[in-house]
Amino acid sequence: MPASYEQAITLTGDLHARPAGALAVAAARFASAVSLTVGASSADAKSVLGVMGLGATRGQHVSVAAEGPDAQEAVAAIVAILAEATRVGA
Amino acid sequence: MSLDVRVGIVLVSHSAALAEGATELASQVSGGTVAIIPAGGTDDGGLGTSAAKVQRAVKLADGGAGVVIIPDIGSAVLTVRALLAETGELPTPVEVADAPFVEGAVAATVTAAAGGDIGAVLAAAEEARHARKL
Repeated sequence: MPASYEQAITLTGDLHARPAGALAVAAARFASAVSLTVGASSADAKSVLGVMGLGATRGQHVSVAAEGPDAQEAVAAIVAILAEATRVGA
Repeated sequence: MSLDVRVGIVLVSHSAALAEGATELASQVSGGTVAIIPAGGTDDGGLGTSAAKVQRAVKLADGGAGVVIIPDIGSAVLTVRALLAETGELPTPVEVADAPFVEGAVAATVTAAAGGDIGAVLAAAEEARHARKL
């Protein structure tokens, strides 16, 4: 059954190019549509250029939303990548 | 849209350094799991493009799922088109992307890393023209 799910995370570091790529590759594995919202900007999580274009930096709140059959798993995976990638500061 | 074998990418630039730099960036962003091969400069190392270099790069990039070629400007496109017109020269499905060089390379390689087929990789490269920086 299609579902929508959303979770917010506060970045502990800037979202750089490599984690943006890892995030887009991970998002593409899910059937659900996945989006990231930072302030007034939103991006398709499956688009690396969109994710990089958000320019998300340390201290910003990122809302991860998904809609589809695996929405909850998709949001959990993307939030985990954001937490790990910005912690390491890769 | 997942495939065991990933689509390969060839970056054709007038400058060997530019092709190699864009390859490095796209490879790093995508996690290094895609065959992305630079084909920059002329055969004697000058500024320009080389059909022989492109042909070698396509063979190296080909893993069986096809190859997307991203040319930079002008005669790079002509070199690629002339090569494709020589039937039988390339053993794999090849598409040429009408895309900005750096953004197209990054978007295409990430889509290939995610298991996208040749159509998805081509579309990702060409959609890169709509990505805003500011």
